[in-house]
Amino acid sequence: MYPRPFRYHRAASIREAVSLLAELGEEAKLLAGGQSLIPLMKLRLASPHHLVDLNFIPDLSYVRPEDGLLRFGALTRHAEVEASPAAQQIPILHDCAAGIADVQVRNRGTLGGSLAEADPSGDWAPVLLTLPTEVVCVGPEGERTLPLAEFFVDAYTTVLRPAELIREVVVRRPPPGSGGAYLAVKRSAPVYATATAAVQLMLADRETCSEAGIALGAVGLTPIKAAEAEAALRGQRLTPDTITRAAEAASAACDPQPDGRGSAAYKRALVGALVKRAIALAARRARGEQVEVSHIYA
Amino acid sequence: MPAKRNIRARKPAARKAPRPKLEEAAQWVGKPLPRKEEGRLVRGKGKFVDDYELPGMLHLWLVRSPYGHARVTHIDVSQAEAQPGVVCTLTGPEVAKLVRPFLEIGPEPGAKIVDYPMGVDKVRYQGEPVAAVVAETALAAADAAELVRVDYEPLPAVVDPEDALRDATLLHESAGTNVVWQGEFDYGDVDKAFQQAAHIVHIDRLHFHRFTSAPLEPNAVIAQWDPGEDFITFWCNNSFPAFAIQFLALALGIRIDQMRVQTYDIGGSFGIKITNYPYMALCALASRKAGGRPVKWIETRTDHMTASAHGNERVFRSTRVALDTSGRILAIESRHIDDCGAYPRYEPLGCIIWAQVLPGAYRFRNYRVRFTQVTTNKCPVGPNRGYSRMQHLWFLERVVDICAHALGIPADEMRRRNYIRADEFPYTTPNGCVYDSGDYARMLALAQERIGWDDWKEKQRRARAEGRLVGIGIGTTLDSGTNNFGQSRLLNPNAPFSGQSGVAIVKLGIDGNISVSLGSVPQGQGHETTSAQVVADVLNVTPELVSVRPGFDTERNAHTGHSGTYASQFAVTGLSAAHGAAQKLKAEMKRLAVFALNAKEDKLEFGMGAQGPEVRVRGSDKAIPYWGLANLVNVNNAVLPAKLQDVTLNCRYVYRPPFRLPDLKRKYGNLTLTYSAQLHIAVIEVDRDTYVPRILDYAVVDDCGRVVNPLIVEGQVHGATAHGIGAALLETCSYDENGNLRNATFSDYVPITSVNMPTLRTGHLESPSPFTFNGAKGMGEGGGAPLHAISAALQDALYAQGVIIDDSHNNASSLFHLLERTRAGRAAQIVRVESRAAAARR
Ligand SMILES: Cc1cc2nc3c(=O)[nH]c(=O)nc-3n(C[C@H](O)[C@H](O)[C@H](O)COP(=O)(O)OP(=O)(O)OC[C@H]3O[C@@H](n4cnc5c(N)ncnc54)[C@H](O)[C@@H]3O)c2cc1C
Repeated sequence: MYPRPFRYHRAASIREAVSLLAELGEEAKLLAGGQSLIPLMKLRLASPHHLVDLNFIPDLSYVRPEDGLLRFGALTRHAEVEASPAAQQIPILHDCAAGIADVQVRNRGTLGGSLAEADPSGDWAPVLLTLPTEVVCVGPEGERTLPLAEFFVDAYTTVLRPAELIREVVVRRPPPGSGGAYLAVKRSAPVYATATAAVQLMLADRETCSEAGIALGAVGLTPIKAAEAEAALRGQRLTPDTITRAAEAASAACDPQPDGRGSAAYKRALVGALVKRAIALAARRARGEQVEVSHIYA
Repeated sequence: MPAKRNIRARKPAARKAPRPKLEEAAQWVGKPLPRKEEGRLVRGKGKFVDDYELPGMLHLWLVRSPYGHARVTHIDVSQAEAQPGVVCTLTGPEVAKLVRPFLEIGPEPGAKIVDYPMGVDKVRYQGEPVAAVVAETALAAADAAELVRVDYEPLPAVVDPEDALRDATLLHESAGTNVVWQGEFDYGDVDKAFQQAAHIVHIDRLHFHRFTSAPLEPNAVIAQWDPGEDFITFWCNNSFPAFAIQFLALALGIRIDQMRVQTYDIGGSFGIKITNYPYMALCALASRKAGGRPVKWIETRTDHMTASAHGNERVFRSTRVALDTSGRILAIESRHIDDCGAYPRYEPLGCIIWAQVLPGAYRFRNYRVRFTQVTTNKCPVGPNRGYSRMQHLWFLERVVDICAHALGIPADEMRRRNYIRADEFPYTTPNGCVYDSGDYARMLALAQERIGWDDWKEKQRRARAEGRLVGIGIGTTLDSGTNNFGQSRLLNPNAPFSGQSGVAIVKLGIDGNISVSLGSVPQGQGHETTSAQVVADVLNVTPELVSVRPGFDTERNAHTGHSGTYASQFAVTGLSAAHGAAQKLKAEMKRLAVFALNAKEDKLEFGMGAQGPEVRVRGSDKAIPYWGLANLVNVNNAVLPAKLQDVTLNCRYVYRPPFRLPDLKRKYGNLTLTYSAQLHIAVIEVDRDTYVPRILDYAVVDDCGRVVNPLIVEGQVHGATAHGIGAALLETCSYDENGNLRNATFSDYVPITSVNMPTLRTGHLESPSPFTFNGAKGMGEGGGAPLHAISAALQDALYAQGVIIDDSHNNASSLFHLLERTRAGRAAQIVRVESRAAAARR
């Protein structure tokens, strides 16, 4: 690869990373797994003058269960989430981690990097939006904790301030009677999805949906929380009609761009199909069924 | 029989190793030997161009056009040249002064096209080089290249081949038209056939899309122009060097023996590296300008996708098919427009190469086509795997399936009625090609058996009852190999080449080792292995004892003007040459042994002795090892009689297929020697909600005559199938109306990966070729059968919804739109059936 010249800095602690960022200013970028940043540097679409490497900071990579919460270090690799028994208890997390690209990407790419990159097609954002999730950020002024729903501003843009980084991602574990599923259509493993649907449900009596989280990926500038689709399920029995209404609401909520993956009209139709299936899978899991979920590869 | 065993047991004790007689010797040809080259390749020890580090080596970086079509008004390299580490630069106008334009193969108007290795006053495709920076490191060159200032004046682009025909926007003003070549092909009596037809099927437009083979290793060159000797050495991965050196010599103004071209390991070419010679020229010029230091250029993936070579795109217009009452095709008439991108380069050869398989696998005798090739503002094409025949065979398979559906004849029955029959081989096609052997109906039956045809038909019926969209499609394809370059005369009567050849040198070395050098350019086809098998059989040794030099080398290895690896031919040209050279060597060894052992020639046998290979006198203890024979020639030769003076044990053989020049007036003649065939059956379901086409089952039957190495053949079948499935469902070079390639990276282009591959049910048939020494046929290209089978399966799945598959590339989104359009009653009426006979079904 032939990037423009840059200077490499290895941070030994979060505090050092923050102060390096503050010192080096706008021309500095954090390096986590490098799976988004390095391809951009290769094509000279990104040319930071400085790279601040997070990979040598101790204790930044973990999956830690704690009082109804799951804490993920920012540097936790997709593959670590995939293999983590604690994360596997929330099946939608496993669906997501195991379905990101290929083994090479999963072994390097990180959860923090994925959220910070805010790629409209990133998988983590829609999945975590269906669960109560918080992002713990550290900057020169100290630490702040933000709900994920307030984190994304636009494509590739978050509320992170200059010299601020993600330290941890905190997910509240769903209560019993919950189930979720994450489904994507991808043309092959190492490419971004054409469209994705994340659905997390809670069933009151195995039939009636008491809580619903639905989010869509790759069909807008940011991940889209489909509030009307959620409302279509909440308090309803999961009949085919209800599910279809929710799917239609999701289709209406998305805002896809035409590209090599498909036309806008196709992606809108696809979102409906994926939401429908994800609801059915989530409901089965909520009823305690063990269901394997795999993305759909064209 | 105990008696026999006793006789064996009484053989002299000294002879421990089993001594096979000549007749009983191991037949290495036909064995699934693992490839000899695997050892280095699988362990990452292969030697590719980028692995070479030469003393004083410089690196070249290209400045490329961001526009599909633009005038270049000004280039300023001063800032780039001032950068640390930069040695020199090249610009288009400078290159135009240093070289002559590349030779054009075709006649006018194409011959008036001026093709330099860089855009000069104009750029005609996105990625066309306009300047180069040469520096101490590739990074320094890349950094400096950003400082080259190029002023462009964007021009309107023409990207659609049918638009190009209108000549509203011209790529090459010197030619005065975008048409490169145009010709009429007319065989049999087409008009009469249409008069007699019971049904006439009209197909308005079919389109074969543009894709590429995306080899793992992009183009790469190191060139060193030695100023003292005025001699250029190339380390490269060009896959048809004998062709490249002729282009390079004319352009650079040197003789072909002032060049050495060598290749070693190559990470795939699939034909598209045949046209990387413009980059060879640029590296040579850069080396000369840099005072003779070697200059390396390694293409990036993005540049490879944008600006190396793509496959030919083709449009089939106003096709009419005449059929009799039972669905037998009587005649086809059509107009074909081939799109070769910005420069012809290897073209217009594609305008004739399709005619090697003019009737495909079918018996019709009347065929008329007007064939036109045009330039467009897209990457130049190269002879991509399945080259030109694949496009044509896809067209024929679409015709067959569309007619079958239109007349209500099952797809398999339609083919059985129309296939050339097994008892008709060797079969002379309407244009004089001779299909050597085959049995298409049996291949179909075998493929049907492999896939469980009746079972799938039943499953399909049930699935349809549930509203599911399941289709079963057949793809019949041919892989014509060992081409007769005489066919170029059908395009240009003055073309200076014809025939075909393969060459090999087999040598018994001074210490008794057997070495083979070939004229081919292997890129994974296992030439070291199969030629060792052939030579081992002739000389009665094991293949491990035969060392085959990797790679191509105009200086150290053998070569002819046809040398290269292309057009599915090594099993014929390469192995015939190796076989011929080994036989020549064996004849010399025999003459030496007659003298050394004082024995009659017919008493001699060749085989493995206790101490290695030896020649011995049958029924006696007298033997001489192979090294002993070499010793007689090279070391201890005062004992040799005068009549053995001509023995060198270094034997070169040139194999020439029995070709003649075609009849130019009738466009008639034998264009290829062998015809491998593949028959694929795909079962596909189009998901009703996601529209994702999923392959449920897949069968592949291949027939490449006698199989030299089943493992290698199976590997080629798998590879060609993957390429075809990728092209059918994932891979397409997508341009916008300004000539911008929209998918130049692997995240956007999406080459096929293992998750996209079905499990293949393979089957084989062996119809030995009567035209080759061992019955083998070339088979590496594969003929693109998945494109045919998948289009057919999709049509079968969606025909009831009113969908005709008219494009070779289909994906979930395009299928969604096909179905939407018919649902809304807006389906394009691309097929119309006219039936005259009272008995007609529709
Ligand atoms: C071939 C390929 C296919 C891919 N397919 C998919 C896919 O299908 N789905 C998917 O979701 N992703 C996919 N990815 C992207 C992958 O998941 C990346 O790992 C992820 O998007 C970024 O994480 P990273 O750790 O690699 O971040 P990096 O590339 O190192 O960084 C990305 C950006 O985030 C910033 N950053 C990193 N860490 C932090 C932090 N802790 N705090 C603040 N800013 C930070 C960096 O400065 C940089 O700007 C693919 C990548 C490749 C190469």
